[in-house]
Amino acid sequence: MYETIIIGGGPAAVAAGVYAARKKVKTALFANQIGGQSVVSDGIENWIGEPLISGPALAIKLKKHLEAQKENIDLFIGKNVDHVEKNDDGTFNVIVGDEVYSTKTVIVCSGGRHRRMEVPGEAEFEGKGVAFCATCDAPFFRGKDVAVVGGGNSGLEAVVDLLAYANKIYLVARKANKEELRGDPVTQEKVFASDKVEVIFGSDAVEVLGDKMVTGLRYKNILTEEVGEISVQGIFVEIGSVPNSEIIGNIVQKDAWNNIIVDTRTQATSCPGIFAAGDVTDTPYRQNNIAVGDAIKALLSAYDHVKKN
Amino acid sequence: MLCNDVFLHIIVIAKKNMAEVTIYSTPTCGYCTLAKDFLQEKGVEYVEIDVSVDQQKAQEMVEKTGQMGVPVIVITKDGQEEVLVGFDQVQLSNMLGL
Repeated sequence: MYETIIIGGGPAAVAAGVYAARKKVKTALFANQIGGQSVVSDGIENWIGEPLISGPALAIKLKKHLEAQKENIDLFIGKNVDHVEKNDDGTFNVIVGDEVYSTKTVIVCSGGRHRRMEVPGEAEFEGKGVAFCATCDAPFFRGKDVAVVGGGNSGLEAVVDLLAYANKIYLVARKANKEELRGDPVTQEKVFASDKVEVIFGSDAVEVLGDKMVTGLRYKNILTEEVGEISVQGIFVEIGSVPNSEIIGNIVQKDAWNNIIVDTRTQATSCPGIFAAGDVTDTPYRQNNIAVGDAIKALLSAYDHVKKN
Repeated sequence: MLCNDVFLHIIVIAKKNMAEVTIYSTPTCGYCTLAKDFLQEKGVEYVEIDVSVDQQKAQEMVEKTGQMGVPVIVITKDGQEEVLVGFDQVQLSNMLGL
């Protein structure tokens, strides 16, 4: 029986893992891989203590930090948790394939994943022009016309990543005008300084067009419902994230977007013994530094829970 | 001498069974870096192709996989090719028999 099981491999999970090991809480950590969503980031300039670090470099540092504590924590990297079951005595079973691990507490740090547009053609043309990582895949669109869907910070950053390669970049944003955009001013400046960029304001993507590969994007004005079409070979989708909260099922309370609701003082969920931190929760701020701090709170709360029960 | 012969023999066998690993990547691709880090950590040798500079190889990759995302990891073993699109540590480990 473990005292706590940490689910996830991003900054939150690693922080909880390091603290658990140092506190000698009997702990297991399950993750597909270590790194988190920032792996795809070309340069992170707000990870405190590092003026500039790339996503992969941060991932490797996180992994090394966790592995430095491996004497005091069971690391199951490359093992995905299927789901969690609650037992009558207040303990939990963590199901991993046909293996069952029992534990007194669970810390859910499973993060989020890219939100899909859920429009016709999107799934069919994924990888065939529809892409979710501009940093990774921009070089394939050298000299081509592309669209970025999503006017938030990630959308603007995708545009910046594409500037060096694409011929023309359409940014499809729901906001009605430039003044309403909420992305970093520094990034906005880069976007609007380029004559390659054309912003289609107040619109939603409604259909991905294509033959073997993407050939265009159909969009609709939110107010007028007027439909337009652009001819593009690439579509980068940057419309936010959805929480990976399926594994915990209905044991804990979630909000309308499936984020796990937590008490921000302790990171406790509605189910005693289950704690959560990072992008899987209803935190308003999806940030590496915040995920780390919240996960440490979660671990310390889990530790208290174990001592009390 | 015998010891050495046995040793050489083992190397030959190992080489015969060893998979050839090719990774198509771009310099800014995070999962490519993680995939390479994983291969290095496991002591797996690989050939890297930077598709952001090699347009011909980029085309080859698109034809091979019917898609344009990196990383693409190609494992050739006994003349058979296995292709993994994206970096999934579990799948990659299985494919390499690690």
